[in-house]
Amino acid sequence: MIRITTLVLLMMLAGCAGMGVEPWERDLLAKDSMQLTPDYFENFYDEHIYFSKEASSGGQGVGGGGCGCN
Amino acid sequence: MQLKKIKGRMAVATCALLQATSPMASAAGSEWDVDTSFLYYGEADGRVQAFEPAIHAGRALGDDDRIELRLVADALTGATPNGAYAIDGVAQTFTTPSGNSSYTIAPGEQPLDDTFHDTRIALGADYTQSLDRMSRIIWGANLSTEYDYLALGVSANYARDFNNRNTTLNIGLGFNNDSVDPEGGVPTEFAPMKVADTGKNVSGDSETKTITDLMIGVTQVVNRKTIVQLNLTLGSVSGYQNDPYKIVTVTADPATGLPVNGTDPSFFDSGVTGNLPYVYEKRPDSRQKNILFFKAMHHLEEDVVDFSYRYYSDDWGINSHTLGLKYRYQLADSYLQPQVRYYSQSAADFYRHNLVLGSDIDVSGNVLVDYASHDYRLAESETITLGLKYGMPMANDSEFSVRAGLITQSVNDGAVPAGQETPDLDAMMLQVNYSFVW
Amino acid sequence: MRLMKYTFFLAMIILSQLALAAHEAPAIKLPTADGQVDLAELQGKVVYLDFWASWCKPCRSSFPWMHEMQERYRTEGLEVLAVNLDKDRKLADEFLQDMDVNFLIAFDEAGESAAQYQVRGMPSSYLISRDGKLYASHVGFREKDKAKMEAAIRQLLAQQ
Repeated sequence: MIRITTLVLLMMLAGCAGMGVEPWERDLLAKDSMQLTPDYFENFYDEHIYFSKEASSGGQGVGGGGCGCN
Repeated sequence: MQLKKIKGRMAVATCALLQATSPMASAAGSEWDVDTSFLYYGEADGRVQAFEPAIHAGRALGDDDRIELRLVADALTGATPNGAYAIDGVAQTFTTPSGNSSYTIAPGEQPLDDTFHDTRIALGADYTQSLDRMSRIIWGANLSTEYDYLALGVSANYARDFNNRNTTLNIGLGFNNDSVDPEGGVPTEFAPMKVADTGKNVSGDSETKTITDLMIGVTQVVNRKTIVQLNLTLGSVSGYQNDPYKIVTVTADPATGLPVNGTDPSFFDSGVTGNLPYVYEKRPDSRQKNILFFKAMHHLEEDVVDFSYRYYSDDWGINSHTLGLKYRYQLADSYLQPQVRYYSQSAADFYRHNLVLGSDIDVSGNVLVDYASHDYRLAESETITLGLKYGMPMANDSEFSVRAGLITQSVNDGAVPAGQETPDLDAMMLQVNYSFVW
Repeated sequence: MRLMKYTFFLAMIILSQLALAAHEAPAIKLPTADGQVDLAELQGKVVYLDFWASWCKPCRSSFPWMHEMQERYRTEGLEVLAVNLDKDRKLADEFLQDMDVNFLIAFDEAGESAAQYQVRGMPSSYLISRDGKLYASHVGFREKDKAKMEAAIRQLLAQQ
């Protein structure tokens, strides 16, 4: 899986060179609602709740606090 | 010629820079962006309730750098499953983690330990250090402390923009060191739970684990309305990973699942040895995780679609799929956002309904399997969350929002005797948020 | 680190000046709130050409500075021309309501002028000499760049 993903990431990095917008076309992308984490605590609480109820966690980034959640 | 001229110009520019006084130093970046939030999380049937107020503030430092601070308090009460299962017609007695008292669960009821309560304080700080116009490093530190648990972490995330800022490469490294200091001491792995006040089987006062995460990701602007993200995370956890409060039932007959009792074998004759028919769980001390995370945000001129998918896999045998979909429906000035999340996981290899006398554990209490846990979180399960958020922008760049969600988690226990299934978990959450510029 | 950043910045200026040196500034003919502006008609003046949008945060802090520059150097022949690139003119008008503007504002919803000037970030600015040649360009707007930008304006104003 790691190899495939790395390949996909590299392909994205290379293949995406043609994608995108001009700097003055970022009106929608600049909106708060279009940020990858539009609501700080919504994301934070969700991660916290599911971390304590499910066996999987992470994926969105590294860092953040651990807990001994039961 | 040209270069010489430019050199001359630069000299002039540098002098100009030195003599330039900026009496009207702009106020740019002198404001804090503050999020204040409160979460209520409540599980049905008297299980866990959490109250979690939090504050997060970020501000620019100079032109390009930024600092973010976070403070979260967390008060937990309620009961949590102790790892044993419900049995029709049989009342079960357990000892609390302190080893000093006992509680009895009625026949047919899921065994819950209601001595569980905790207060947690978590602090976090991130510093974004701009390296040049296209790259930056975010340094992070966090600390979380509760009654029996301390987590310390540091992280570094490097981000670099390419392709006219349409592509961003992210590389993150995180390191956490956690220590657990369980109530009543660290129970000896696979040792039987003892009758109250007969001495808990402990192997020490505290244990630690370290968590290392490496993430590599790309975000890509697809077009004016679409941005996507793909992350690969490799995680490694080593050290103590048991839940010190969870036990596994020992049975002589898997067809009935009844706990061994008394006379045969004498090891579990609690009247004589003080050993109850439950042993403390044991998990591997190493866990390797691979996580693939994909997210897409799409703007529909008014509304916004937020889609995410995560594939998770670890060497405990857990594979999971997580799908998230949020649709932000723009009203005149405010917005409404229905949310749905679907989660499905397979069981850990060592997830066991019980340990069977003779094959898994011998008459002297020696456990013959490497690991075992009946923590429902390691079982095959599904979680469905339905939520709705309402957000209302207000004057001066502030926003108020409220979000409610219903969570249903169902466990597939596999073939277990009737009545011993893990019941569904129903929970609700309510989040109130106020963000403002200060 | 600071030295590195500074060197990087100088390198950027030198590179951009090399690339731009002696090039004709592409033509600009765009509507304003009550008429039209033609870059060709500003010959004889030093033009500070700025590309901005209402959603761009540093653009917001660049406006008071452009106001200051226009006021300080008007008599020496500086003309600030700020081209708005919003797709929705309404948003630009809302932005302008908050601003004290003493310079030229033009509107280019299609962004063709920005494409002509190969704008690489928002905001972007270009200094155009009295004879219509590109003299320097700058991407972004940072507090720490102000003095350098003003110095460049002064140099160009000093050239006859």
